[in-house]
Amino acid sequence: MWEKLRDDFYQNFIVDDRWKYIVDGLQNTLKITFFAVLIGILLGFVVAIIRSTYENTGKLKILNAICSVYLTVIRGTPVVVQLMIMYFIIFAFHDPGQIFTAILAFGINSGAYVAEIFRSGISSIERGQFEAGRSLGFNYAQTMLFIIMPQAFKNVVPTLANEFIVLLKETSVAGYIGLQDLTKGGDIIKSRTYNAFMPLISVAIIYLIMVMVFSYLVTLLERRLHKSEH
Amino acid sequence: MNINEIGTPLIQVQNLGKKFGDMEVLKDISVDIYKGDVVCVIGPSGSGKSTFLRCLNRLEEPSGGHILFEGTDIVDKKTDIDKHRQKMGMVFQQFNLFPHMTILKNLTLAPIKLQGKSSKEAEEQALKLLDKVGLKDRANAYPNQLSGGQKQRIAIVRALCMNPDVMLFDEPTSALDPEMVGEVLNVMRELAEEKMTMVVVTHEMGFAKEVATRVMFMDGGYFMEENEPVEFFENPKNDRLKLFLSKVL
Repeated sequence: MWEKLRDDFYQNFIVDDRWKYIVDGLQNTLKITFFAVLIGILLGFVVAIIRSTYENTGKLKILNAICSVYLTVIRGTPVVVQLMIMYFIIFAFHDPGQIFTAILAFGINSGAYVAEIFRSGISSIERGQFEAGRSLGFNYAQTMLFIIMPQAFKNVVPTLANEFIVLLKETSVAGYIGLQDLTKGGDIIKSRTYNAFMPLISVAIIYLIMVMVFSYLVTLLERRLHKSEH
Repeated sequence: MNINEIGTPLIQVQNLGKKFGDMEVLKDISVDIYKGDVVCVIGPSGSGKSTFLRCLNRLEEPSGGHILFEGTDIVDKKTDIDKHRQKMGMVFQQFNLFPHMTILKNLTLAPIKLQGKSSKEAEEQALKLLDKVGLKDRANAYPNQLSGGQKQRIAIVRALCMNPDVMLFDEPTSALDPEMVGEVLNVMRELAEEKMTMVVVTHEMGFAKEVATRVMFMDGGYFMEENEPVEFFENPKNDRLKLFLSKVL
């Protein structure tokens, strides 16, 4: 049994430096996830502000309508289809690189979910907080920035973390545009060695470890943020 | 004749009206509030007292009329209301302290960001005022660690830190346990003694009787009666007021 495992390991990772598929793939997965998260947060933040402002004040009507279309389309279609549309249609004649395309597609996708998370966070703050800010003389934007957003952010940290865990795992479909991410790396090894167990289980374990480490960091952050609620 | 009626009023409310949809909550209200006035507004719930108070700093948008605050019509859309709100402190029934900040941060946020005070300057003032309400030792606590009475005293101090010209109180003791009402009323009483101009919506008849310079009775969107406190409570003229007082006193 151990003999066989050791042999499998040797075949799948050591021969021809096949471990490089995993390491290169992991790098791409992390790169895509990291930058997609940044785009997602930025986009989600802007969209949430626009939507909340419209809900509270009735201003920004046209921007709000655009945001609604964005949310409906992105949340109503599979991310892998969005990724392929981005690569094979939108960038059909001008290839900015697969990684860049993937970052953009996953970022835009994540932004829609993050926007709804932020918006629910903002509307979870009671109206009295907003009124207290305004009554001191803060304008709408200052009240949002100093009083509403910090509390809203604190409330949505667990949901937000969950969204990023989902995003990390969703990037595993990046192989559809011929990009070699972690999943694709394992897949390539499998096709070379005709052995599914070792590469795929290894890939799964790597995802699992990343999610567990990330979840642990989020727990630490949450604990810090909730210091004020003894 | 009110002894405070010298010079122009601090707040002049002229023909103020407020509708929520088809519901007319305030009907053609006119009243002058002078510097040093302590105006207590009483009346049954749903009479429009809180709406009236919230119109004064435009937390509710009036449907008609004018409110002149220090000579400026703040109902005018062109008026920078944020500027004027800095001079109008407000205290809410539910305290509305910022739970994500320490007490000291709650008190210094607005003076630092809006009045350009240095944090040292703002903190010194905050600590001085905290000391006055007996809560200096709680400066670094968070709001959720305090009792209701303590929270409301802090909320009053937070408004005072902006050096307002008038303080608006929206039922400041209604959400408190009975044994904590006194400590908040004491702070308000001291404030009145220092000649702070105050408009207080309240159910505390004892406070109104003792501290107010004028008491006003609101019902059905109108001020039905207005008088200095002794006359108001001992010799009410309006029938609705008589009925109201017979129930609450």
